[in-house]
Amino acid sequence: MEIDRGALENIQAAENPDGGWPYRKGSSWTEPTVYALLAHQAGRTAAARSGAAAAWLCAAQQPDGGWTPCPLVAQSTWVTALVALLPPETIGAGRHARAVKWLVDQSGMESSLVFRLTSLLRDGKVPNGSDVSGWPWFPGTAAWVTPTCLGILALRKCYWRRPSTDLRERIDKAQAFLLSRRCADGGWNHGSARALGYDVGSYPETTGQALLALAGTPPAKLEASFRQAQRFLREQRSSAGAAWLRLGLLAHQQLPADAPLFTMPCRTVPDTALTVIASAAEQGYNVFLE
Amino acid sequence: MRRREFLLGSASVLGLTGCRQTPAPRPRAIVQVTRAAAYSQDLYDTMRRVLAAHRLNVRGRRVVLKPNLVEFEPGSVINTHPMLVHATLEAFRELGASVAIAEGPGHRRSTLDLADAAGYFQTIPGFEDIFTDLNLDELSPVRLPHPVSRLRSLYLPRTVLGSDLLVSMPKMKTHHWAGATLSMKNLFGIVPGGVYGWPKNVLHWAGIHQSIADLHSLFPKHFAIVDGIVGMDGNGPIQGRPKAVGVIVSGHDPVAVDATCCRIMQIEPSRIEYLTLAGGLEGIAEENIQQIGEKPNSVATRFELIMEMRGLRREKV
Repeated sequence: MEIDRGALENIQAAENPDGGWPYRKGSSWTEPTVYALLAHQAGRTAAARSGAAAAWLCAAQQPDGGWTPCPLVAQSTWVTALVALLPPETIGAGRHARAVKWLVDQSGMESSLVFRLTSLLRDGKVPNGSDVSGWPWFPGTAAWVTPTCLGILALRKCYWRRPSTDLRERIDKAQAFLLSRRCADGGWNHGSARALGYDVGSYPETTGQALLALAGTPPAKLEASFRQAQRFLREQRSSAGAAWLRLGLLAHQQLPADAPLFTMPCRTVPDTALTVIASAAEQGYNVFLE
Repeated sequence: MRRREFLLGSASVLGLTGCRQTPAPRPRAIVQVTRAAAYSQDLYDTMRRVLAAHRLNVRGRRVVLKPNLVEFEPGSVINTHPMLVHATLEAFRELGASVAIAEGPGHRRSTLDLADAAGYFQTIPGFEDIFTDLNLDELSPVRLPHPVSRLRSLYLPRTVLGSDLLVSMPKMKTHHWAGATLSMKNLFGIVPGGVYGWPKNVLHWAGIHQSIADLHSLFPKHFAIVDGIVGMDGNGPIQGRPKAVGVIVSGHDPVAVDATCCRIMQIEPSRIEYLTLAGGLEGIAEENIQQIGEKPNSVATRFELIMEMRGLRREKV
């Protein structure tokens, strides 16, 4: 699928004077700013090296090394993983290293020693093994699928640049978390495969994200997930869902040759950016895996 | 200090001052139960009558309708029906209000696609122009004056904080964690996913019931219109079964409205923790609620409860 140059122009037109991007309109937020930069990277445009966007991001880094969702918020959160997905030179190697350190230091509360001990005393069991650990959306809460996928993608890039046992172990634990949260239908939802003994269904967006984050996993382990992702792709309920599914299936060479084109409108800057990123991946350049 | 923080601060000061005086007798909350057999054109007239009964003075005011959008399941009973929202919007406009619709789903990120799948684009002309995704809205920090949960403050969307009247429009559903999800639980949707994530897990860690009570404390006098035309029982709020009740329940006091809904669902309101946290036993007592329209007992419909929630059953109807 060809990269939609019009989509890239639309993204560029949505940039705020401060160098960041809004979700639709209004003030700049970290998530759309990073997706806009990743789309420009995927499209290999000059804007990928936008000094204004990099300056906006640099100014928004917190003293703890993380990023907040938008400047008004005081707490570093999951969006730090998104910033860590950018090439280090975008924000500078030092800032990037601090972002990665913030990320490595975070994990879902259910994998903390205190929570595991409390669960053991109260319920006689712990929710996960010690070899399972994902990332939360917001510090001090449980791990969920999307922030865990973004954490894996960010750390895997770091690992490829500079392999280390610590990073490998953290990625393995996070991938184990994803596999432990897979729904009965083979896909993933926000991260709750069962509630009070009932199976809960999966979503397109998170199924695509999880497949992308599980790139390199033996295909035999993911057969049901491929089928569910292909089923979702035929239904097309959102452009972001379609883009994540294409990215996830491409990562395992499972994107059908007759996969339908994007049919849903892009409602936000990240939606538009993701369609560009997915199109570039189909042409062999996946910014999440490069 | 922003307007909402100032108002909340002023309210708590007034509340402390009030403690030194003899408490005034508690006014009875007015809750209306209105029959509505189906999602049909009749709803437009029904909602005009509902608002007239409550004597809402909204001329020139900003009203935000907050439906409950959960899942992409067209034709299911998961989401607040778009026709009820449109009928309410038209009725408020006829009263001279400026009306917007806003929601921030708890699990699904593509809010507009979800609204589209739920029939909102098709039913409500110009929907996209009047809709705000509360998960991604501009924010203001808000301090909780007397928190019940572990939360001390929240970032909340300015579309809601800047409104003159917030109208919570949930579906009448059972809930596998909270027991029942009604107008108060529906306020989870104003907490921005863009900050707290999907799901808004900070609210779970702070205590679901306690967080509902805290959100209620920030909007104690929002207006509630509960879609009980067809609700959901069993394993709600997502996987339950349709339950036809044929009512719309409305009022200025969300605790009283939700307690009335529980009685209709044959759930004992005093066993729903967030109701007692927010209103105390007084706030949910039948003698403190003035029912207008249908009597709750006359429309009571047994909502099936999952095993874990059977202790909530109201045996005496």
